[in-house]
Amino acid sequence: MTNRRDGHHQEKTNTEDGKVEDRRSSTLLRVMNRWWMDIWKGNPPGPVLLIIGVITAILMSVPILYVIWRAMFAGLDSWQRLLGDRIPGLIWDTLSLMVAVTVAAIIIGVSLAWIVVRTDLPGRKWWQWLMALPLVIPPYVGAVTYIIVFGPSGWARDLWESSFLMALSDYPINIYSFWGVFMTLTLFTYPYVFLIAGASLRKMNKSFEEVARSQGMSTSQIFFKVNLPLLRPAIGAGAILISLYVLSDFGAIAMLRYVTFTAAIYYQRAGFDIPAASVLSLVLIVITVIILWIESYTRRKNKYYQTTNSYKAPDILPLGRWKPVAVFYVGLVFTVAVILPISVLIYWTAIGAGAGAIDNRFFGFAWNSIRVSGLAAIISMLLATPIIYLKSRHPSVISSTIDKLSYGGYALPGVIVALGLVFIFNNHIPMLYNTFYMIAIAFVVRFLPQAMQAGDASLSLVSPRMDEAARSLGYPAWKVMFKVVLPTIMPGVLAGGALVFVSSIKELPATLMLRPPGFDTLAVRVYYEASEAIYHQAAPGALLIVLVSIIPLHYLLKKY
Amino acid sequence: MKKGYLVSALLIPGLLLAACGENNGNENAGGNENPGNDENVEAGGELVVYSARNETFVQDLLDKFEDETGIEVLALHSAEPLQIQEEAGNVQADVFISNDLGGLEYLNQEGLLVGGDYDNVDSIAEEYRAENNEWIALSSRARGFIYNKDMIDEADVPQSMEDLFDPSFADVENGYAITRGGNGGMIGNVSALRYEWGDDRTQEWIEAIQENASGIMQGHGDIRRAVGAGEHSFGLVNNYYFHQQLEEPDNNNVGFIYPDQEDGQMGAITNAAGLGNVADGPNSDNAEYFINWLLEEENQLAFVGESLEVPINPDLEPPFEDAVPIAELTLQDMPLAELGNYFQDTRSLIEDAGLDLELR
Repeated sequence: MTNRRDGHHQEKTNTEDGKVEDRRSSTLLRVMNRWWMDIWKGNPPGPVLLIIGVITAILMSVPILYVIWRAMFAGLDSWQRLLGDRIPGLIWDTLSLMVAVTVAAIIIGVSLAWIVVRTDLPGRKWWQWLMALPLVIPPYVGAVTYIIVFGPSGWARDLWESSFLMALSDYPINIYSFWGVFMTLTLFTYPYVFLIAGASLRKMNKSFEEVARSQGMSTSQIFFKVNLPLLRPAIGAGAILISLYVLSDFGAIAMLRYVTFTAAIYYQRAGFDIPAASVLSLVLIVITVIILWIESYTRRKNKYYQTTNSYKAPDILPLGRWKPVAVFYVGLVFTVAVILPISVLIYWTAIGAGAGAIDNRFFGFAWNSIRVSGLAAIISMLLATPIIYLKSRHPSVISSTIDKLSYGGYALPGVIVALGLVFIFNNHIPMLYNTFYMIAIAFVVRFLPQAMQAGDASLSLVSPRMDEAARSLGYPAWKVMFKVVLPTIMPGVLAGGALVFVSSIKELPATLMLRPPGFDTLAVRVYYEASEAIYHQAAPGALLIVLVSIIPLHYLLKKY
Repeated sequence: MKKGYLVSALLIPGLLLAACGENNGNENAGGNENPGNDENVEAGGELVVYSARNETFVQDLLDKFEDETGIEVLALHSAEPLQIQEEAGNVQADVFISNDLGGLEYLNQEGLLVGGDYDNVDSIAEEYRAENNEWIALSSRARGFIYNKDMIDEADVPQSMEDLFDPSFADVENGYAITRGGNGGMIGNVSALRYEWGDDRTQEWIEAIQENASGIMQGHGDIRRAVGAGEHSFGLVNNYYFHQQLEEPDNNNVGFIYPDQEDGQMGAITNAAGLGNVADGPNSDNAEYFINWLLEEENQLAFVGESLEVPINPDLEPPFEDAVPIAELTLQDMPLAELGNYFQDTRSLIEDAGLDLELR
């Protein structure tokens, strides 16, 4: 990069007197060099590392920039038509759902975390991971099972209509409604809050509560005045994950016949109203950025410190006469969010297996899922490692920009990433258009940060002193990388790869939009068969996706 | 510079993958389990089929073709006609199968289909083909109302499209169901109404059904199942969905109304399913081969297949007993190719009403 700047400079001055130019250029070179060293705090990375980082950052951000660019040229009438009728309604439907799900998931997540961590609930150690289990059920799979159970032709209606309740009123549940979507998304996203809040409850220092109790506060007062404020960062982190999830969900929403921005973008693009799809995407991008901004703003304002040197583990509170209530509550959530969906899947998988649903075609779809997700995992590991190394060993504006750009696709819904990739590939790289590489690249853009986070955690345990020691023995930088750093952080990198793999295998909207002819994955089949109400065909694939998803749960439980 | 970066940014992973890709290809070939099966000398290679029809109607047909010819069929189901248009600079599909002649004729008018001279093409009457056989229709259907006999009397079901203006149909038990406006069948339906009524009145009709329907679904399969199960009293579908529901082991106490059959009414709205040969497709020889194959009478019937539509070829017996021959109905007098002239504006009309994004 220094060379290029230097060349530019020479071009500008080559008309002037040679001597002056020489002196000037060497001064300028020195200034440039100093400036370059300043940016990197005297520790610039090698060119290969930097180039890989820059290319990755571009790869990550281009699809989104492209969507924004297309939206700006969508034409005035597209904008007017959408702004007038569409967008206000969509904003209301999307944001009301997002707020409702987030609030409900926080209430369920925090209360469950408090009960299983801080009270003498029977089997509390077991519940601490059992209650995280809904995380392994992708919400669109959960939605299918709820349609089977609570839907207008579901088991629950049959029960209702064959019982005395029928005399009282018609079957009251309409799963194809706001409340159906709300219930489904809440039950399969609360574990985000549950896990994070549980972790911070476990780390909470007893001394604060002792002080509060000595002031005569009751347990509930302590919860609201002491525990809850300390939980605020955990709740905020969970809330942001859940809000972003609700914004990006397509499968559950489509199956329950609710339309949010993500669904609208998907339908617009499926109908090839490209300008409308990009306009809606831009609005969704703005909403997402606002949410991220609110989150970082509130985090800056609320800092709670816990003193570490006088740490005492908190007491386990006796539930007393509340025990049956607590057991009922925990059991109810567990039944609805775990037992019910898993049983439905097993029931229909058994029927499907009997009907020959697990045939060559099924294995073909599974193989497609595995190879496209595997490819995404491998690329993610290859790209994540240089970026985290760059960020941790060569901190600078440039490396942190690269790091931030790499997160772009993670925060935004898959439909937007897919939309951007369709534009780019169809218009500029026709060779790769309609190949399964397109899906793999979309997965990388979406899930690279998962690989980065996992690798980052391992790298932070490796002291830079180790690199320096190796360097001082005369190893060149790349050899240090391969001989010292990589072997040490390999478990973290592989864990990151596993996370990307699992996220990819259950990803739906981008896969639907980008799959080439003849290439269906399990997620696509589950979506298709379930929306045709052919449950015995949908269930085996869904069950397989759920089983695979247990991998990240193991990782998450270790993390929190 | 930026473009150069972009290209390399996207190519580097691509190159990284090239190795994997090759590997995959080998494993696929290895997984064939039938090593002697590789000599598809006469007809070989691939055929890319985009289909807008319900997958269950099409997949068996494609499997049959694959088995008989050894040509590997790569199918993209739930494709839209406009995808062909979008990809015109980088043609992917060889053949487009559609429920809606409007979409096919629209593509033809845009110059995206190519004509041909096929062996048995005369078995299809000329009004069911494009001028140079750029598209050929093979099976026909009519729009009408499927209803649940346990919930509503035949006399209380709408007897014409106009009846749906009447808000009182919102009050039938559990309401009625329609598809989303993006559905090909619905687009054809709306185009036919525009031909009959003009745009303003049609727009009012769209708004009325959007207001009054209690279920708005992705596809007609959802509707027939829902009506059969008593989730709605009736629904607006194509006639063969009624026949399909009759074949279900349960929830089959349903009836069907062909609307607008009285004197002075417009007649039943019909449409047809067929296919178009995409211009400059990557495997154009195979596309031609496929169309010739499909026009064999046995395969025309296979195209109708499980959908329980009526074959357009009058020599063919409908593949099920209860068919109402379309000839016995009073039909709307619009030539079907005319649907192509309405296609784009119909989509805007539906979009303006917001029905394309409505689900409930």
